[in-house]
Amino acid sequence: MSQDATEIRARVKQIIANVAGLDPARIGDEAKLRDELKLDSLSLLEIGVDVDLAFKLELPDEQYKEIDSIPDMVALVQSRLADTQPQAQHQAV
Amino acid sequence: MRRSVVVTGAGVLSPLADSPAGLHAALCAGESGFKEIELFPLDGLSGNGSGPRRAGEIRPFEPRDYLGERNLRPIDRTSRLLLAAAQRALDESGWTPELRAEREVGLMLGTVFCSVKTIAEFDRRGLQLGPSHVSPLDFANSVINAAAGQAAIWHGLRGVNSTISAGEASGLLAIAGGTSQIRGGHADALLAGGAEELCFESFLGHLRAGRLCGPDDPLPFDARRGGFALAEGAALLLLEEAAEAAARGARVFAEVLGHGSAFDPLETADGAAQAVARAVRIALDDAGITSGDLDAVSVSASGSVAVDRAEAAGLAAALGASGAGVPVTAIKSMLGEALGASGGFQAVAMLGTLGDGFLPGIRGLERTEEDFPLTGAGAGTRRVAVRRALLTALSADGHACAVVLGAPQ
Amino acid sequence: MEPRIAVTGLGLVTPIGVGREDVWNGLLAGRSGFAPVESFDTHRFNVHLGAEVRGFEPAPYARRLDPARLGRASQLAIAAARLALEDAGIDSGAVAPERAGVAMGTTSGEPREVERLDDRIQAGEVDRVGPEFLSLYPCHMIAAHVARELGFAGVNTMIPTACAAGNYALAHALDMLRAGRADLMLAGGADAFSRITYTGFARLGAIAPERCQPFDRNRKGMIPGEGAAVLVLEPLERALDRGARIYAELAGYGLSCDAHHMTAAHPEADGAARAMERALADVGAAPSEVSYVSAHGTGTPTNDRLEILAVKRVFGEAASGIPMSSIKSMIGHTMGAASAIEAAVCALAVAEDRIPPTMNMDDPEEGLDFVPNVARELPVRMAMNNAYAFGGNNASVILRKVGL
Repeated sequence: MSQDATEIRARVKQIIANVAGLDPARIGDEAKLRDELKLDSLSLLEIGVDVDLAFKLELPDEQYKEIDSIPDMVALVQSRLADTQPQAQHQAV
Repeated sequence: MRRSVVVTGAGVLSPLADSPAGLHAALCAGESGFKEIELFPLDGLSGNGSGPRRAGEIRPFEPRDYLGERNLRPIDRTSRLLLAAAQRALDESGWTPELRAEREVGLMLGTVFCSVKTIAEFDRRGLQLGPSHVSPLDFANSVINAAAGQAAIWHGLRGVNSTISAGEASGLLAIAGGTSQIRGGHADALLAGGAEELCFESFLGHLRAGRLCGPDDPLPFDARRGGFALAEGAALLLLEEAAEAAARGARVFAEVLGHGSAFDPLETADGAAQAVARAVRIALDDAGITSGDLDAVSVSASGSVAVDRAEAAGLAAALGASGAGVPVTAIKSMLGEALGASGGFQAVAMLGTLGDGFLPGIRGLERTEEDFPLTGAGAGTRRVAVRRALLTALSADGHACAVVLGAPQ
Repeated sequence: MEPRIAVTGLGLVTPIGVGREDVWNGLLAGRSGFAPVESFDTHRFNVHLGAEVRGFEPAPYARRLDPARLGRASQLAIAAARLALEDAGIDSGAVAPERAGVAMGTTSGEPREVERLDDRIQAGEVDRVGPEFLSLYPCHMIAAHVARELGFAGVNTMIPTACAAGNYALAHALDMLRAGRADLMLAGGADAFSRITYTGFARLGAIAPERCQPFDRNRKGMIPGEGAAVLVLEPLERALDRGARIYAELAGYGLSCDAHHMTAAHPEADGAARAMERALADVGAAPSEVSYVSAHGTGTPTNDRLEILAVKRVFGEAASGIPMSSIKSMIGHTMGAASAIEAAVCALAVAEDRIPPTMNMDDPEEGLDFVPNVARELPVRMAMNNAYAFGGNNASVILRKVGL
C-alpha cells in the first residue's frame, strides 16, 4: 500500500492534534512541536508511540526524540516506510 | 489558641447537579440520580437481567463547560471531574488565579481508585501491543495521586497536596486531614473532598463482591435494602484559616468544628459499630460539644445490609439519650455510592442545610427493620434549624470517620 | 506544648535483606539488590534488571490473617510491621487498641490484582473474576490488613502519594501523635513489583540498562524495586517511661507541590526546595545543622540534576560539607516504600553515627559529597530525608538525636 506525503502528513497531523487537544485544521503544515504547539516531553513521547503504531514503523525512541516539527515527522515516516516497503516508493507522488 | 477552620466555598459535580445550590435543591426535592449505565457496556455482567444496570452516572458531562479550551487529552475522567469541581470551588470562594499566584492553596483528596480504568487500560494495551506501545500519558495517570497532581497543575495549587484512601470514608478523611493541616499551620487554605469515576473495572469488582443492589434503586436503612448502586463525581470544600478568611473579606458558609476517626480490625458488625461510635465521640470532643448539641446528621449509609446497620448502631451509641432522635439523612438514597467522592457530597450538601434549614429525606425509606437502633431517620425533607451538624462515614472495610460542621458565626 | 515523638522500632523488607540488622549491615557494606527480573517475563523489553525481594515468605509474619488472602504489598507491609513492633519490644496484644494506629504510603497498591483482572478480561473470562478483586486490590487494604493483623483500632490511613508516600505517611503519623489522637503509630510504606510499574518506567525511558548510578555523571536511569518499611512512633515521654531503645526523634516535616508537570520536576526545583525549607522551619533548625541528607536520588539524569540544584539552593555554601547519599544505588527505587526505608536509614544514622554510601560511583557530579562507594562514620545530629513523586508531590522529614 502506498502512502504519499499528503496522506502521511494528514495522518501525522491528526495524531498530533489528538494529543495536543487541537483541531488539525488549525495546525500549520510546518508547525514546530515544542515552540508553537507547546507540547511537553510526555506528549511528545505519546506522539512518537502513536505514530509508530499508526504506520507500524518499529523505530527506537531515539529517532522520535530528535523530531521537532511536522515536516521532520513526515520525513521520518516516509524514509522508514521506504526502507521497509521499497516497492511502495515508485508509487509515491 | 487553636486555629479555626472555616468553609469559604464549595464545588460539586454529581449525578443530580453541578452546583452546591443545585444539589441541595435536588436532594430536598427527593430526586433520583440513578440512570441506566451508558459509560460502559453491561453485556454478560447482569446475568439473566436481574442484575444491577443503574448507577449515579454523570450524564451529560462536558468538561469544557467548566474548564475552557486548554488541552484535556492528558486528563482522564476522574481528573476531569475533579478539575471541574475545583474550578467551581475556587470561583465561589474568590480564590482567583491572581490570588493563587500570590498565596498558596493546597488540596487534600479522598479517592479509592483514582482511575483503575486508566491503570487497567494501560496494562491491557501493553498485553495487546507490547510494552513499547503503551501510552505514556496513561502511565502518568496510573498513580493513585494522579488526579490531585493534575488538579494542582491545572489550577496552580502549590500548597500542601495529598491523597487519602480509606474506602467509602476517604472523602470525610480528606476533609479531616485538611482541617488538621490548617490547624497545624502547614496550610492557610486548601480544597478538601473527594473524586471518583464510574467505570467498568470498579463496577465489575463491586458486582462480584456482592455489594450492589439489583435493578431497583438502593434503599439505605430500609428493611428491604439489598446493597448499593455505584455513582461518580467530585465534591470539594474550600477550607481556610478563619482569620485569613476574614482578612480577605471572604464569605463563610460553615466552620469545621471537629473531627475523629477510628478503625475496626475485627471485621465484625460490633467492631464496625464501635469504630463509628468512637469516631463520633472523638469528633464531638474535638468540637467541644455534646451529642445533645447536634441538630442534624448525614450518614454514609448506602443500602448495604450490614454496613448501614453498623453505622446506625455506632451512631446511636454515640448519640446516647441526649442525642437520640436527632434528624438523620442518608443522601446516597439519591446520589448512590460514589466511593471517594461521597464524603465530599455529604459535606457540600450539608452546607445547603446549614444555609436554609432544610434537611433532605431518605428517598425510598418506608420502614427500617424491627430492632433498628437509630431513631431520627426520616423519609421526607424536614425543616430543621441547624447550628451544628454531624457527618459520618463507615467504609465496607472498617474505616470510620466523623466531622462536625457548625453554622457560620 | 506538642509532644516530641520518638522512633523506637524499625521493620524493613528490602531487596538486600529482611530485618533492621540485616538490611543496615547490607547497606553499610554496599550490598546490591539488582538482578534480572524474575516475577514476569521481560523479553519484550529492552531493559531487564529489577530489585525484587526474592524468596519472601509471608507466613511467619501473617499469623492472624491468611497470607493467601493478601496481596503482595500487604504481605510485605505486615512483615515490616511485625518486625518493627518486635524491634521496639512491643507486644501487639499489650497495646491499647483504640490508641494505636496505622499510616502507610504506596504508589500502586496491589497492581498484580489489576494484572490478574486484565489477564481475565483479555482472555474473555470476565465470569471468572470473583469477589477477591475488591478484597485485595484497593490500596487502602494495605493499611487495613496491617491493622487487622495487629488488632489496631485507632486511626487508619493510606496515603498513596507515589514515590514520596512513605514520607507522607510519616508526616501524617506525626500529626496524629502531636495532636494526641494516638499513643502509638506504625508508619511507613509498601509496594510490590509489577509489570504495570515496570512497563510504565520502561516506556518513559527511565530504566537504566545495567547499573543504577545516582549522582554519577554517567548515570542512565533508575531501577524499579519493591519492599516495605514500618517505623514505630510514640511520644518520647512514653518511650522513656518504658525504657525503650530510642533511635531518634521524628522532629518534623515539610510538604509541597510543584504544580508543574506530572512526571518531570519543576525546572528550578522550586517544590523540592520548599519542602526542605518547610521541614527545617517545622523543626526550627538552620540548614547548617543538618549532618546528613538521605537523597531521593533515583539515578535518572533529570531527578539527580534537579535534586542537586535544590540542595544547593537550600543549603547554599554549607551544601558541599553535608554528605548526601542515595541508597537507591543499592536497593533500587522501591516506590512507596522508598522514603520509609530511607527514613529508617536516617534513624539508624542518627542512632549510630554512621551513614550508608552511594554505590556505583565512578565519576561523581561536582560540588557535593555523595559518600561515594564507602560507608562513613561521623556524628549525625540531624538527618533529612527527601522524596519526590509523580504529580509533583514533594516531602522532606527530619530526624534528630534525642535531647537536642
